[in-house]
Amino acid sequence: MRFLEVFIAEAKLIFSDFAIVLTIIGGVLFYSFLYPQPYASQSVSGLSVSFVDLDKSSVSREIAFKLNSTAQVTITRYDMSVRDAKEALVRGEIKAIIVIPQNFNRDLVLNTSPTVAVGADSSYFLVYGAVLEGAMKSILTQSASIKIGKLLISGEPISGAMDAYTPYSLQIINLFNRDNSYTQYVIPAVFIIILQQTLLIGLGILGGGINERLKRSESGHYENAAIWMMMSSRFIIFGTIFFTHMLFYFGFSFSTFDVTHIAAIPDLLNFGLAFITASIFFGIFLGSLFSSREMATPFILFSSLPLVFSVGFIWPVEAMPSFIVELSYLVPSTPAIQGFLRLNQMGAEFSSVISLYGILWLQALIYAILGYYFINKQRKKYVTN
Amino acid sequence: MFKAFSDAFFIEIDEIKSSYYKLLLISFLPILSFTLLISIFYNGVAFNMPITVVDNDKSELSRKLLSNIEATSTINIKQTSFSTKEAIDLVKSSEVYGVVIIPPHFSRDILLKKQPKVTAMLNTQYILIGKILTGALVEAVAYSAAEVEFVEDLVTTQNTNLSQKAISPIGLQITPFFNTYKNYFLFLVSALLPSVWQIFIVITTIVSFGTLFKEKREQKFFAKDNITAKVLGKMFPYTVIYTILGALFLFYIYGTLAWKFEGSFALTIFAMFLTVVAYQVVALLFFITGFDYARALSLGAVYTAPAFAFLGVTFPIYNMNSFALLWRDLLPVAHYMEIQISQANYGANPFLEINRLLIIAAFWLLFIPVIMRFHSRLKA
Repeated sequence: MRFLEVFIAEAKLIFSDFAIVLTIIGGVLFYSFLYPQPYASQSVSGLSVSFVDLDKSSVSREIAFKLNSTAQVTITRYDMSVRDAKEALVRGEIKAIIVIPQNFNRDLVLNTSPTVAVGADSSYFLVYGAVLEGAMKSILTQSASIKIGKLLISGEPISGAMDAYTPYSLQIINLFNRDNSYTQYVIPAVFIIILQQTLLIGLGILGGGINERLKRSESGHYENAAIWMMMSSRFIIFGTIFFTHMLFYFGFSFSTFDVTHIAAIPDLLNFGLAFITASIFFGIFLGSLFSSREMATPFILFSSLPLVFSVGFIWPVEAMPSFIVELSYLVPSTPAIQGFLRLNQMGAEFSSVISLYGILWLQALIYAILGYYFINKQRKKYVTN
Repeated sequence: MFKAFSDAFFIEIDEIKSSYYKLLLISFLPILSFTLLISIFYNGVAFNMPITVVDNDKSELSRKLLSNIEATSTINIKQTSFSTKEAIDLVKSSEVYGVVIIPPHFSRDILLKKQPKVTAMLNTQYILIGKILTGALVEAVAYSAAEVEFVEDLVTTQNTNLSQKAISPIGLQITPFFNTYKNYFLFLVSALLPSVWQIFIVITTIVSFGTLFKEKREQKFFAKDNITAKVLGKMFPYTVIYTILGALFLFYIYGTLAWKFEGSFALTIFAMFLTVVAYQVVALLFFITGFDYARALSLGAVYTAPAFAFLGVTFPIYNMNSFALLWRDLLPVAHYMEIQISQANYGANPFLEINRLLIIAAFWLLFIPVIMRFHSRLKA
């Protein structure tokens, strides 16, 4: 068979299969719209809290005012007791409770360091973090202004008093993703997983389907066409589709959802080519192992969440068992996400992703050899001539 | 009626016994996925996160501060850099998560009360990692600064008691309700396991009905008797298995580990049962779009794969847009998760859950169109 014939036969198998087309075209486009939706507002703000003021002094009112002026929290209830507030919390009306104890003002004057209690719902970690941030900000500024007041009374000049409240301080600079946008955090990594998984499912359905036909002795090009021709046809077809998807994701979707994209275009394309090539040969290899067209979707789907979380962008790799981290390097998405994040989100030089780039090409090579071997093996098993 | 149900039930049990694939789907594969996710987060706390430091002062005070930072379990000073640029390059290449820079004349400025600033530049592309590092650094720096202040005050006032009080006029006591903050295991794993679980329910239901139709055994199987009872009988083994699997992971998290389950375990398991059936019905809804096995699987994948992001456990629902909230409402697991959290963490009064249970049960109504389609298909 000539190359062109094999190519057309492969293309027919791919585009006449509704499940494949739905996944590699429909799925990819739908996900690019759906996944960013939860994070559209990007950060956590305006969480409802209850303010339990057992002191009712001018200082406690100042604290309430300062709390309301933070972006993170809004006081929506003033409860008379901690009990009432806690009930509201269980009903889901509020996410945190801030308690100013009795005699708060008096204790301040007496210098006995009274304590503001903050209780927050820790079932949702971003909620908890945001409440804490808001509460700490307002109470620390209140605390500092009291301290300055005291130093002024004790005779320090105002400039000294303003500066003297702590011997040195910490200034935190967010290097990348400066405003802690959740979209920015999740989308660049999840999009790579989506590209890979839909690509793998597509090739898996194709490969499994061919194995099934071989088993049923249905005749077709897969019985005798040169394997390299089949593999290169798939490479060209899936490569074209997914390279286009990748450009769409990095270009259109990232701009639409305000995700940074600062990599130099040639670097991004170069790294992207390695990622897509590795994924295609990985998919061809997996496809050669599935015994039916329906096997690909479940297996690839189940691996998605473990793959996302073993990359290390959500949970640090230092805290994971090392065998999981090592195993995850067998799959293109792990080196790919790390590389893309460095290039596109952090603006690293290509030289700093060179080893990840190498891993991707190595995967492509190994999976191409394995794919060739197993396609050949399946064919020998069923085709007798 | 009951005979048709039990016939279908036992036929399915026999099929499971003779199919490696179905056996994998109800045992090894879900347990493997659960185990992988559990092991990733098993430590629950992050530790030894590598950072680099640039010490432009090299004084006793700067060394003291750095050793206080190193002393935290969270941070590991992996190396020392000579310039900020060199340090930032290390962050960009993900060798370290951040850099702490001590300014020149740090020690002298402290003595002159010029209040020098220690700068930390963190890789906040990784939000959670950034937050954990920020917390640990703020604590370590505040502690070190307080040490210095304490000594200064002691020298001027000669009163240990008062000088300690003077450091912070207002104390802050933080109480995390419901689970120990800083332990991410419970946060993430208790939501991840249901997210994986619902994928298995949908996929297995489609596999079960898909193979029947693909192998063209459906006319023989349904044989014109009570189709409804047979569909239910075929579903039921998986209803039981996935409810048990769900109960097992709940028991694993709240029974064997240190977390206390505040509310009603039985109610939560009942909610699981409702959820399993809800997902089985939705899976059949995908299947009746064309009685095509592979297509139903693709639809099931699109529907179940993104569920975790919509649960609201990571990014809160209060800040989601209306489309996200609508999609979330279409996922039974999102409603189940609310019950699990309010029962496990808040120990809420079971009557508060009635609404949520009814919402999950409402998905059962989709069984009506499903069964109508089955009827028309099998008569054709």
